[in-house]
Amino acid sequence: MNTSAESQTPVSSPLIATDIVKRVSGPTGDMTILHGVSMQADAGEAVAIVGPSGSGKSTLLGILAGLDSPTEGVVTMQGQPLTDLDEDGRAKLRAQSVGFVFQSFQLLPGLSALENVMLPLELTQQDNVKERAMTVLDEVGLSHRASHHPLQLSGGEQQRVAVARAFVSKPTLLFADEPTGNLDSATGDRITELMFDMRKSVNAALVLVTHDDELAASCNRRLRMNDGRLSEL
Amino acid sequence: MTRGQQFGFALKALKRDLSAGELRVLALALIVAVASVTAVGFFTDRVGRAVERQAADVLAADLIASSGFPVKQEWLDEAQKRGVDTAMHTRFPSVVINDDDESQLVAVKAVSAGYPLRGALKLATLDNPTELANLATPAKGTAWIDPQLRDILQLSQGATLALGAKDFVVERIITFEPDAGENVMELSPRVMIHIDDLEGAELLTEGSRARYSLLMAGEEAAVDGMSEWMSDNFATDARIQSVRDSGPQLQRALGRAEKFLGLASVVTVLLAGAAIALAVRHFAYRQADASAVLRTLGASREDVIVWLVIRLALVATIASIIGVTIGWFAQLVLANFLSTWFSLELPAPGIKPPIVGTLTAFITLAGFGLLPVIKAGQVPVMRVLQRDYSGLQTGSIITAVLALAATFCVVWLLSGDLLLSAIVVLGVVAMLSVFALFGKYMIRAVRTLAGARFRLSVAGLERRASSSVVQLSAFAMGIMALLLIAIVRVDILSAWERDLPEDAPNVFVVNIQPEQVDGFGARLTDQGIQSNGFFPMVRARIAAFNGESIIKEVMSEREERRARREYNLTYANELPAANEIVDGQWWSAEEEGNFLSIEEEWANEYNYQVGDTITFKVAGVETTGTIKNLRKVDWESFQVNFFVVASPSMLNDFPQTFVSSFYLSDDFSKATSVWAREFPGIATLDIGAIVDRIKTLMDRASLAVEYVFFFTLLAGTCVLLAAVQSSQGERIRESALLRALGASHQQVRHAVVAEFAILGTIAGFLAAFFATIIAWGLSREVFELPFSVNPSLWLFGVVGGAVGISIAGYLATRKVLHTPPIVALRNTG
Ligand SMILES: Nc1ncnc2c1ncn2[C@@H]1O[C@H](COP(=O)(O)OP(=O)(O)OP(=O)(O)O)[C@@H](O)[C@H]1O
Ligand SMILES: [Mg+2]
Repeated sequence: MNTSAESQTPVSSPLIATDIVKRVSGPTGDMTILHGVSMQADAGEAVAIVGPSGSGKSTLLGILAGLDSPTEGVVTMQGQPLTDLDEDGRAKLRAQSVGFVFQSFQLLPGLSALENVMLPLELTQQDNVKERAMTVLDEVGLSHRASHHPLQLSGGEQQRVAVARAFVSKPTLLFADEPTGNLDSATGDRITELMFDMRKSVNAALVLVTHDDELAASCNRRLRMNDGRLSEL
Repeated sequence: MTRGQQFGFALKALKRDLSAGELRVLALALIVAVASVTAVGFFTDRVGRAVERQAADVLAADLIASSGFPVKQEWLDEAQKRGVDTAMHTRFPSVVINDDDESQLVAVKAVSAGYPLRGALKLATLDNPTELANLATPAKGTAWIDPQLRDILQLSQGATLALGAKDFVVERIITFEPDAGENVMELSPRVMIHIDDLEGAELLTEGSRARYSLLMAGEEAAVDGMSEWMSDNFATDARIQSVRDSGPQLQRALGRAEKFLGLASVVTVLLAGAAIALAVRHFAYRQADASAVLRTLGASREDVIVWLVIRLALVATIASIIGVTIGWFAQLVLANFLSTWFSLELPAPGIKPPIVGTLTAFITLAGFGLLPVIKAGQVPVMRVLQRDYSGLQTGSIITAVLALAATFCVVWLLSGDLLLSAIVVLGVVAMLSVFALFGKYMIRAVRTLAGARFRLSVAGLERRASSSVVQLSAFAMGIMALLLIAIVRVDILSAWERDLPEDAPNVFVVNIQPEQVDGFGARLTDQGIQSNGFFPMVRARIAAFNGESIIKEVMSEREERRARREYNLTYANELPAANEIVDGQWWSAEEEGNFLSIEEEWANEYNYQVGDTITFKVAGVETTGTIKNLRKVDWESFQVNFFVVASPSMLNDFPQTFVSSFYLSDDFSKATSVWAREFPGIATLDIGAIVDRIKTLMDRASLAVEYVFFFTLLAGTCVLLAAVQSSQGERIRESALLRALGASHQQVRHAVVAEFAILGTIAGFLAAFFATIIAWGLSREVFELPFSVNPSLWLFGVVGGAVGISIAGYLATRKVLHTPPIVALRNTG
């Protein structure tokens, strides 16, 4: 749980990535997507990654979150090198301290809004799951739609549920891949606002991939991905 | 997650799955499989047992041991020890004399208390034809007789009959004797007395041709044990008959029905299995996204797999409960029909069918679904960020092995036959390989032939090459199974109808003297009765085989039986109808010499072969003939049949009588009592009751056949649905795209329908091909029916396939056309 992880590690940098290389084999032979990327996100810091399409942003985000393994290099999350963990070990670490918001929402269509929010708490076997989920759902202004299923909600509403789901377990790290990419600008703004507010209340570090300059500007730091190479802006 | 949480979580997801129709096809296929296995199981179990009981009626017992010697005390002791009920009867020919000193040759049957152990006699008094409640057996000093004997000897209620040294009071007419058919050639009228009267009447003297039988009945296991014990120790002393080898007609009819039911049930389950395989694969594929999200949020692979497995197990459980319920009601309805139509009491349903049904569901689901589900649980998590990680591959060696193992287990479970299971599995493998191989080429061939109109459709098929081949195989399998069941069903039913036409002979007349033939024939014609001809009959015993006397110092019961037995021989220049030469040749009228034609099974029993000689002794004179051929006799035909047919030169100088058979629609005793007076000495035998019983049995069996056929049809439909469903997502996306790019409603609809029509045509063609091959094999090897290529099969296969599948495909993808493209693209994006 959060507390044990926090007591063991310096809280300063919940996420450190060093010399990340990602090579994949494609139909035309091997291809390098990331060429030795290093970065870190300090506690409570918001880092934006911008860059052209196909430059490798999502690939990097996946590796940082432990969804994929780098070909070379090390990602340390909460002081724990991800390379030491297997898939399920990484999943467990994610369940304890990571939240996600995706461009395509990624709510489970089979569960209601409330059940989707309850999910992370259930996965880590916590108490008062329903009440806590309901509280967070209320914070994003959707407690009246708790029993609705994702397909019955608008895109903006779905993304608010996703934000609630990302914060319900009070993560120390939040990853977002173009969270406003599928929404109109007004709705996108609301989501951004919501995300930043909630982030502040739990003091989570945020790694945000975006095309939106305005959104990037509201972050503490901005990094630019170009052809698999990362540079500070 | 704890198991409890996983379960609750799975339950929630399941509710949603079911209401969203996600698992509809899977659940339907499971229900059909369970319902059909259960219903067929219940039904065959109950009817099978009822029929077996009825077959037992034909013997009046479950097991009979009969010989030319009195029943051994040892047998009775053993039966008692094993808890098997017993009764006895002794049969022999004798003569009865009435008060007017008229005599008649009769077939006496002296029975002990308890006879018949199975079935019941039907009785009436001599002056009143209303049937009476069953009086178990004749009391001592009384006799029960055939109606015929009453008419011949003009007996009335309470008349006395002298039999041997004793007088008997005639008390009852036997209107039905369950085991009368057991010895059809025992042609004199029946007199039944109590077995204890035999001694007083001094009937059984040295040399009387009596047949002593021990009847046994009881629990199946006990009877089986007894049967085994008897065969082990007394096979040569007695002829042992059990229910299972009673009456050839009954047995064959039953055997075929059972084989058909078994086959249909296996085909149904295979089809349902194919539907389950497709549906569960589809389900796993659809669950890959959810699996990735869950794991992103921190669920372990195990969590996800357990979650999916619980969901499937829950579906299987629900489907099993529904399936068993449906199966139970289905058989209940049918069983009610049966018992009211045929006044047949069915034994209560057993517990085995629902267990087998449920097991079938779980084995099939595990065999086909486990691996895809595991794969879905292990899908790369990066899917949540990058869609191109679609990588859910389900086609692997392990998948195939698991699926085949499941198929094998299920077929084995249903048939209990290892060899059959292996054949089915190999057959399925061979067929699927051909479907896969030719399917690809055929789609390609269609592409080259297709005009611009169809280019879009064929391109669609090619683009989804692997799922197209899967669908093609599923369609072909479905159509093939339906064609196959249809052919076999039609063949079987028509074979039965051929065997037992409405006017199957129900009366045999024997002992017609040569000088009576013309007169009797004319009499029949007058009465509008069409006889099947008059056949000469010469009674003979076997004297020698290949010149060697068959009478020896020491003889086994079997040899003794052979030596003592009288055979009815006939002679002819033409092969009798409904007979078929299986070895050697028939003789022509010009050929000189004494020839014999022997019935195949009888020849096998004594190892008679073409070229051997048999010497018969007729009225003290020997005559020898050479076996010229072996014949297969269609015993189901109810024609007059003979084990031995000789060439005329061998027998026509011997004393002979004639036999005839025909269909009599009038009341038997009215018609025959006149003949008995007009043509003294002839004996008529009413086999109408036996024919009726077999007809009834076949009706029942064909009803069962129709019934199982219905489930097969349902399973076939499930396969089609599952196959259509498996590509529905892709199709919806594709046509949404096409419409977004400007294709009209109609263009998209044409493309979809044409695509299914092409698949249906190819599948129908492949199906007709395989159905023909398999039907040929089944007709020859399993059902022993003649096979003829049925051209309509190809018509139904190809046209039916194209039309049926287009309609099914169109209906299933109607959604494609009614979904605004933007919604389709976003929802599946
Ligand atoms: N498994 C893989 N196999 C082959 N190529 C891959 C794989 N994963 C990513 N790529 C390629 O790597 C490049 C970077 O992909 P990535 O999804 O990280 O881009 P992105 O910066 O997120 O782009 P966008 O802004 O469009 O989302 C792309 O060209 C993509 O096609
Ligand atoms: Mg991206």
